[in-house]
Parts: sequence; structure tokens; C-alpha cells
Amino acid sequence: MDMLTSKIFLRKTKRGKVLKVVREHYLRDDLWCGSDLCKKCNQENSEVLDDAPISSSTLCACPHYVVVDTNVVLHQIDVLESPAWKNVIVLQTVLEETRKRSTNNFKKLKEIMATRKDSFYVFVNEHHKDTYVERKPGESANDRNDRAIRKACSWYQTHLEESQQGREKKKKVQIILLTQDFKNREQALKEGIPAYRVDEYVKSLKDFPDLQEKLAASHSDDNAENREPLFPEHWAPTRIMTGIKSGKLLQGIFHCSRENFLEGSVSVEGQDKSILLQGHASLNRAVDGDIVAVELLPEDKWTSPSGIVLEDQEDQDPGDQIEKEEALLTNSTKGKDLQPTGKIVGIIRRKWRQYCGILLPSVLAEGTRHLFVPAERKIPKIRIETRQAATLSSQKIIVAIDSWPRTSRYPLGHFVRALGNIGDKDTENEVKLTVLLLEHDVPHHSFPETVLACLPSMPWMISQEEVNCREDLRNLDICSVDPPGCTDIDDALHFRELSPNLYEIGVHIADVSHFVRPDTALDKEAANRGTTVYLVDRRIDMVPELLSSNLCSLRPDQERLAFSVIWEVTPNAEIKKTRFTKSVIRSRRAYTYAEAQCSIDDPLQQNELAKSLRGLNKLAKIMKKNRMEKGALQLSSPEIRFEVSTETNDPIDVISKPMLDTNSMVEEFMLLANISVAEHIFKHFPECAVLRRHPVPPESNFEPFLKAGKTQGFTLDVSSNKSLAASLDAAVKPDNVYMNTMLRILATRCMMQAVYFSSGTVAQVDFYHYGLAAPIYTHFTSPIRRYADLLVHRLLAVAISADVTYAELLDRKCVQQLCNNLNYRHKMSQYAQRSSVALHTHLFFRHRVQDEDAYVLSVRQNALQVLIPKYGLEGSIYLKEKDEDSKSAFIYNPDEPSQTCDNITIRTFDRIVVQVSLDSKYVQHQKIAVHLVQPQIAGLSVEPIKTVNVSEPTPKKLKSGN
Amino acid sequence: MAEILLSEAEKAFIHHGVQDDLRCDGRTRLDYRPIILETGLVSNASGSSRLRLANSDVLVGVKVELASPLSEKPLEGRLEFFVDCSANATPEFEGRGGEDLANEICRFLQMSYMSGDTINLAELSVLTGQQCWVLYVDILILECGGNLYDTVSLAVKSALYTTQIPSIKVATMDGDQPELELSEDPYDTKRLNTQNVPCLVTLMKIGNHYLVDPTPEEECCSSSGVVVAVSGTKKITAVRKIGSGSLHPESLVSMLKTASEVGTVVNKILMTKLLEEERAGKTQKVGFMR
Repeated sequence: MDMLTSKIFLRKTKRGKVLKVVREHYLRDDLWCGSDLCKKCNQENSEVLDDAPISSSTLCACPHYVVVDTNVVLHQIDVLESPAWKNVIVLQTVLEETRKRSTNNFKKLKEIMATRKDSFYVFVNEHHKDTYVERKPGESANDRNDRAIRKACSWYQTHLEESQQGREKKKKVQIILLTQDFKNREQALKEGIPAYRVDEYVKSLKDFPDLQEKLAASHSDDNAENREPLFPEHWAPTRIMTGIKSGKLLQGIFHCSRENFLEGSVSVEGQDKSILLQGHASLNRAVDGDIVAVELLPEDKWTSPSGIVLEDQEDQDPGDQIEKEEALLTNSTKGKDLQPTGKIVGIIRRKWRQYCGILLPSVLAEGTRHLFVPAERKIPKIRIETRQAATLSSQKIIVAIDSWPRTSRYPLGHFVRALGNIGDKDTENEVKLTVLLLEHDVPHHSFPETVLACLPSMPWMISQEEVNCREDLRNLDICSVDPPGCTDIDDALHFRELSPNLYEIGVHIADVSHFVRPDTALDKEAANRGTTVYLVDRRIDMVPELLSSNLCSLRPDQERLAFSVIWEVTPNAEIKKTRFTKSVIRSRRAYTYAEAQCSIDDPLQQNELAKSLRGLNKLAKIMKKNRMEKGALQLSSPEIRFEVSTETNDPIDVISKPMLDTNSMVEEFMLLANISVAEHIFKHFPECAVLRRHPVPPESNFEPFLKAGKTQGFTLDVSSNKSLAASLDAAVKPDNVYMNTMLRILATRCMMQAVYFSSGTVAQVDFYHYGLAAPIYTHFTSPIRRYADLLVHRLLAVAISADVTYAELLDRKCVQQLCNNLNYRHKMSQYAQRSSVALHTHLFFRHRVQDEDAYVLSVRQNALQVLIPKYGLEGSIYLKEKDEDSKSAFIYNPDEPSQTCDNITIRTFDRIVVQVSLDSKYVQHQKIAVHLVQPQIAGLSVEPIKTVNVSEPTPKKLKSGN
Repeated sequence: MAEILLSEAEKAFIHHGVQDDLRCDGRTRLDYRPIILETGLVSNASGSSRLRLANSDVLVGVKVELASPLSEKPLEGRLEFFVDCSANATPEFEGRGGEDLANEICRFLQMSYMSGDTINLAELSVLTGQQCWVLYVDILILECGGNLYDTVSLAVKSALYTTQIPSIKVATMDGDQPELELSEDPYDTKRLNTQNVPCLVTLMKIGNHYLVDPTPEEECCSSSGVVVAVSGTKKITAVRKIGSGSLHPESLVSMLKTASEVGTVVNKILMTKLLEEERAGKTQKVGFMR
């Protein structure tokens, strides 16, 4: 044979040219076999492969060398690490194939070979003149490599045979090929090479019984490639981009429906209605939050959201099949309320993160492919491969998504780490909390050293120089009003009469920007955290506690640095003059809302502070009235607070947060300060002011709200925020006091999310804050807990020449980026807070079953969404069990909407009695179960609980800020 | 073309030989000299051949490349010929000396391939109006021993015969740009049908007779002749008159007739030989080291 051959292959260049590449390949006749017994090879002594290897395998008792196939290295690399392996021949073909297929395994194999030089021999078969094989026409690269491996095996066989002619047959060294590939094994056996599966072989190693535990179960990857794709393919990115440019495709954020996992919507910027997506094919592997490209269907295929509530609730692993979805979706009411419907053709950006959840109990516990159920309902189940399913099945684990191939029903992911045992009482809460924070991407690690190094050293005093360059307001009677137990006091107020017709009021905000200097580690950390997150039993600080609870907190009787906004106003709350100054203050007293209310109401209290509070209160009321006239909204969302037992840390009672005059008084002045500051910084920095806007919700958002109003006989006007406020005020029913609150809750849900933005990125007309009816607004008053306020402080300080600027502050792109992060963190923190409440509700109901009053929030095709005001809790009552035929024949009337059974009709806002309990059927995935008690409907309602007397709850007036 | 100095006596000798149908080297008027052909010498090219006809030596390489088709022929790929007259052949080719000859050969090849019968250019289309294969045929003349047209045409045909066009498929459309996918198997290629690719037959008129495959000396004796492109189906796809002398219409008709017969035979023999070589499979290449 010629010692020079050439390897020829075709390659396509990036520019689309096809190249024929020819590589010269030189063969050699001086490559030795590496065996000690060989007499032919011209090698030095002490070779890797033993003269008389000892076999510990029962499968192959005679002495042998082992040749491993590439698939063994790729899939069973862990097994190869064992010292059980001796006299292993690694072919160059295998090495090269491994390198191409998995760099990780290649590295591992290299390491193994480096540490165990005496057991592994690399035979360069590709350059040996007798073992080189050329690819045949029609042969795949894989088949060629398999052939090369077999060729090397048979070469070894004949080569060794010649050197051990005299030996007894039993003592002759054989070559054994280990391969997982069935075809290769068959072929090898045909060619007379003993071949085994690696698991067979490992199990037969009697000296190493433990080794088989390291075996990875055989992969069915080859299968996966040939499987029928379940999903339509995604378009290529450039095609999507041109599609979007030409307007054929729309880009938006995908939201999975909370109620129906086969339904989702895509909100497209600048579009009124979000686009509806139904069914697996339309959702096309999008995961909640992804930025996707959508193609609209022709109008005759538009549908409306199906009324049914659907959960992907198989308790068993269904494999890679898509269940028949017609049945699940047919119910969508055709003909009316048509919504633009589309299908996803591509994913522009994945927003995958790590998800927390549990493993679905698998039928095959020994298997490695398991389904993971995320705690979030909007996230699909994830297929992971793990060999520790047994240990993980009782734990909360974190999983990351890797890919979602077309052939897979579920996305593929991998196990990241275990958080801890669910059943374990001590760690349960801690685990759940960690889970909650992780799920909502809340940075909650303790502050690193670099950040703590930025803090001032204690004891800390205000230096004289600092006082000199600030306005000294220590003489003023300043006080703060906050909720009880508040340690991060960031605002304080003062009031004084300048003349009978002119008052001076001041809002003093903690001067956090004095401590958090731009571009320090502390600043970066705070910017990343974006906001302090308040959970039911914990606070995740944005800045270290020394600042948040001490140096910045405007504690009573301590001198603190502040940023003050001071107005001169007439008794009619007309603002005559506004000024901003950095100051030094000393708060006289830290009131709670209740205490402040007492001071105002108690005529006996005549000290300066009480008088100030009264003055402030009076002005606040006028200001509020003015604001309401302009169209500010008073919306509602249920807010509750848990009484937590000090011993067990379990919630023992739930109370809704009371709303006092003083609450709104403080709120009023904060709004005023925010608006004043917003105007000022926008005047000075028209391009880069950090502002907050609340977009006017599109009319379509109000549909469920209007429908609900109609059922109650109210015509609601949503044409402007003012008319909305008026119609909300008018919608009162004496027999259903809570109804108004419910309407407000519904109205809240129609609103858009308020967002921070950089003024240079949005047209000035869009600055409008819909909820507050303010043309311009920002956040200035809580710099301890919000990073946006800190930015505003810096801008304002520059505007009044109290500080210097820096480049990032004036770059609107940088500012917008910061704002985007803040908006994200803000949203996540709200979700985290809600989850925290939900978590405590679970704890509260752990040992309780209670009957409570509830109101129907909305009527769905197969369920009622109810609100339990006492707990601010929402739940679904399924009217039809999924499987059984409905015993209770509810008739759904989508127009009203209502559900009728026999002669009982349930409509939106109806008061019903429900039984609340914790459904612990899935130990690791508990949820609150709600069952109907009244009205009694056979087959659906449950017996009321006797022991708990259902008291008539007084409808609580619930309010919230903006 | 290389000028050979011949005395009148020598010319007369050749003249008489032709008259008697016995040429200087013993051939009859319609005999070719022996031809040596080997294909696949240039491993980097998609197809290649080297052909030696007595002392004329030509090396041809075919390179396939993707390009956009001509706007007037969106459904077709194309062939581009390029002739390089190596100065090794004769010192006259040095510098731009061979350019005229090269262009002449190029043009005539192009012309003779133009007829729709010769080669199906639609086979070269990848994606209508967007992508097609272009076959760059590079012809290197290594030695001039007379009858260059015939030599070149036979070599080109052989090279085209062996040309492997990678199989490619349009995987996805990516906006306006097609995403082409190359087959992973280097053996997965297609070949052109070269059955009808024309061979050029040069007929030289010496005295009242004409002959094929003239030696340089015979070329010297002739004042006129024709080069005829004959496809595998006996069709004449192009004709070109060479030399300064004139031809009588009658003799021209007779020459064309003879050319088409000779061309068909040459074509047939070439195809059989190529097939034979292909059947023999991989053998040691002879190359230039003979």
C-alpha cells in the first residue's frame, strides 16, 4: 500500500463557497502495538499492555485486552475512571471522535489516561499502514470509524497471535471490543472479534461489584433524532428579522396563561390587543417570558380565549407524546369576542432561568429520564436526566432548561442543585423561602466584602464641613409617620405657619446618595438589586443594614443627613414656592400611623408636633380632593398581614391592613414631593431624567371589567381616568357592600404596569401617570429601598448644584438600561411578595379547614374564580371534575356570564360560602383548595364545618396606593 | 503557433505522402496519432485530466463553484473556459505570447458548447435564479505538438466526465437568502452527462486532400483547414476555418461530412476508454513521472 494517501472532504465556507479540501495523510510502519508479549514490534521494554493480563471478568475468562468504542467514552466516561480498567487500548479514531463530539469527555479521558498511564495505551491506528481505512462511497463517517475500530481489533488479533504461537489456547491474549452500538457489535462478532456491551462487561467484573452503579443507563439519543417532530420548526433568525421588518411577523413577550397551559398570549408593543395563541403547535415551545416572533392567522381563524381552566396535571410521565388537544380546546367559544390569534414561528430571545420544583414520581425509578414539575404553573414540565431520582424525589430541586428540540414534548434540562427535603419541618420554611427568592430572581446573597468596604466606619458623626455646606434644619419640629416596626424610615415631615395665610411644609428624605457614591461596589450592588423586597417575615435589603436601618434611617432624636423639599403653601393648598435643599435634620419623633392618628384626633394634645400633624392633615385632605377631581384613581387590591407566632414562626391569624387618615396624609405629601421633583429634574435634564409613567390602558383591557359591571347593572365609563373614577364611585349597591371593592379590584387588573424610564426615550405626552392623573411623576421619597429614587436624588443634587454629575448619569441609554433593570426587579419583587403571602397562607391553612365568605370574581366555563376577602385569597372552584361526567349539570351562559344548575344561578360578584383547606395530595406541591359550601349543589358542594362558626364578616374597606 | 521551418523539398515530400495516403509517420489521412489519457491527477480539482497526443500535452482541471446564474438564463449554470499557454510549450508563449492562441481556443470551445445538445446546463442549477454551479475549466497547454484543438477538446471532455459536483440541497429559506446544506458524505456527488460533449476535429487541406490530426510539419504545409465541433450524436455544433487559404464549397461540404464521421468515432472511443478507466477503479496514478 502506498504510504501517502489523502483525505478528501468538502467544506462550505462562511461565505457560502464550497471547498474541496485535500489533506495528505501519511501512513507509517513503525507504530508499535504496545504489548509486552509482542516479539515483532521494535519497542522498548515495560510496555503498557501486560504480557499476561489477568481477567476478572466472568464474561471473558481468558486474558484479554480491551478496546473501547467511542460511544463508551461518550456515555460511560465515569465508569472508565475506575481502577478496574487495565490493559485498555484507546484507538486514535476513538480519541478524535470523542474530541469532536464532546470536549468535556475528551478532557476527562485525557485526564484518566494521564493519571493511569500504566493501564491505557493509545494506538495510533489512523496512521498505521495496516489499520488505516478509507471511507467507502455511501458510508457514513460513523460507519467508517466503526470499521476502523474493528479493523484495528482484528489487526491486533492477528498481530498478537503471531507472537504467542506456542502458548496454550487458554492463555492466549484476546482482544475484546466494548461497544454500545448494536450494529458495530454484530459486525464485530461476524468478523470474529469478541464484542460486548460495556454494561454487560462491567457487571461481569467480579472484583469490582460497585462499579456497575456508575453505569449510565443507555441513552436513546439515536432514537430521538429519528423521531417524528412534535412541533413546527422555528424560522431562521434572519428570516424572522426580515419578517418583522416587513411587518409580516410581530415581536412580543410571550405570557403563558395561568389558567390554561395550552393557551398563551403575546403582548406586542404598541398593539391594543395581545395576540392569542392556542395549542401546542401555536405555542411552539415558547416558555413564559420569552421574546417571540408571531405570525397572525387569517381573521377567519381567530378565536377567543377558551373559558376553561386547564392544568397540565398528569401524575405520570406521558413520554413524548402530545395529548389530543382538540378536546381541551374545542370549547373556545367561536363567533364572538374574537381576539387576534397567531402562532409562534420563532424565538427571538429565550428568557430561561433556573426553576425550582420537584421531580414527578417516575414509573421507572431506576431510569434516568425524569420529569420535573416547576413550582410555577406557567412553566412547562422539564425533562431531566438524573441518576439520583430516588434521593431527589423528596427534595425541592433547581433545574435549568438547556434546549427544547422539536421532537420532545417537554424542554430538556439538567439538574442544578437540591435545596433540601420538603417534608423536613425545620428546613421547610427556609427552603421555601430560598425557592421563592430564586424563582423571582431576587438577589439575596449577603453583601460581599467589597460592598461592605464602602460603608462609613462606625461610630459615625456628621462632620462640621458637611453641616456647613448643608442647610441646618435641626431646629425644625420634624417627625416621621410609618407603619409599626418600620426600621428604614426614609421620609419625615414638618409643618409650620409662616404667616396666617402662608404655611411652610417640608418633606425630608434620607440622603442615601451621600453614602452610596456612583461607581462604587456598593452602588453597583444596589443598582443590581434595584429594590428592597419585603416579604411577610423578612426584608431583603437593597443597601446594607447599617445604612438602611441606621445611618440613612431618619431615626428620632438623631442628627441625620436629608434631602428636603420645602414648599410655601396657602391654606387652600396652593403652592406658592418650591425649593430643594440638602439639609441636616433631627426628627423629634417617629410616629406610627395609629399614633399619629391619635395625636390628631385627641384635642388634649397641643404640643407642636400634634399641631403640625393637624395642619398637614388638613392640607392633605384638600390636596387629595384636588387630585381626585383631576381624575386620580382609587383602586383596590386586597392587602393582608399575618400575625406570626413568635415561637413557631407560623402565622396564627390574618388581618387586613387598616387604612387611616394618616396613611393618606403621608401619601399625599410624598406624591407632592415626587411631582415637584419630577418637574424640576425634567427641566434640568430633559434627556436623561429618571421618571415614572403609568400608561393609559387600552380600552380592550377593560373588557372583563365592563362585563362584570354590566351583570350588576352598572354602565361603567372607562373613556378617561376621571370618568372611570366617577363611575367607580357611583357603582355602589347597598345589599352588596363588598361589590364596589371587587369592582375596584377588577379595575386594578385592567391597568398597565407603571414603569421607570429615561425622559429622552419617550415622547413627552407619554409621561402621563394614569393612576395618579399627573402629567409627570417620579420616585424620590424612598431612596433607602428603591434605586430609582437614588438616581433621582443624584439628578436633583446636580440640578441644585449640590453635587457633581458623572457620565453614566447623563447618558440616556445607560439610564434607560438601569430603568429596565429596575422595572424588572420591581415586578419580580412584587411577585415575590405575593408568593410570600401565598406561602404563609399555606402555612396558615396547614392545620385548618375553614368556611369563609367569598365572592365570585369571574365565571368561567368550567370553574368559578372566587375571592376570599378575609385572606385576600383567590381560588378556583372546578364545576366539573376533569374525568367524571358532570353529575352537577352546570349550564354555562357565556353572555352574562353565569353558571346555572337546577335553579341556582351563580353570577359574577355573587356572595357564596366556601370551604378553604390545604390540598396536600402532592406533598411537595401543596395548594389551597377551595370548595363550595353555599349555595348547596348536589354533587359539588361540601358539608359546612360545624365547629367553626361562620361569622358574618364585616366587609373591609381595602385600599392601596398606586 | 509554433513556426516550423521546412524546406520546399520537405514540403513536397509531405505533399506527395498525403496524395498517396501514406503520411510521413505511416498514417493514412484519417488516422490519429496515439493518445495517452489519464484522469483524476489533480486531487484538489473537482475533475481533471491530462491528455497527450503525440507531442501535444494538455492538463485540464475543472473547479466547481457556487455563483448566481446569469440573469438571462436563470435556470442554468455555466461553463467558463480558460486556456493558459505555458511557456514550457514553446518560448514564444512567454509573456503574453500565447494569449492570442489561448483566446482563440477559449472562444471556440465556448462556441461549440453553446448548442443545447452538448451539455445540459440546467443540471447545474441549484436554486432557480439564485444559485447555480459554475464549472471553471482551466486548460494548461504544456507542450505543442500540433493539432492543439483536438487535444484540448478531448482533455476537456475527459475532465468534465470525471467532474464530481457536490450534492447540495436547499435546507431552509432564510429571508431572501437560501441556506444551502452540503452533503456530509464526500462520495455523495453527481456527475454531468458528457455523452454529447463535442470533440473538435481539425481537418487540414493539403493539396486536394484533407487529413486529420496534423503534425506541426503538416500544419506548415497547409494553407487552410477547418476545425469542426462534433457532438456525440454526430451533430456539428461549431465550425471554424483556419489558415489563410480558401476552400471550395464542395470540398468544405465533404470536409464537414468527414469531420462529423471522424468526430463520432473519436467520441465513442474516448467514452469507452473513460469508462474503462473508471471501471478499473483506484490504481496507481502515473502522472508526469513516466
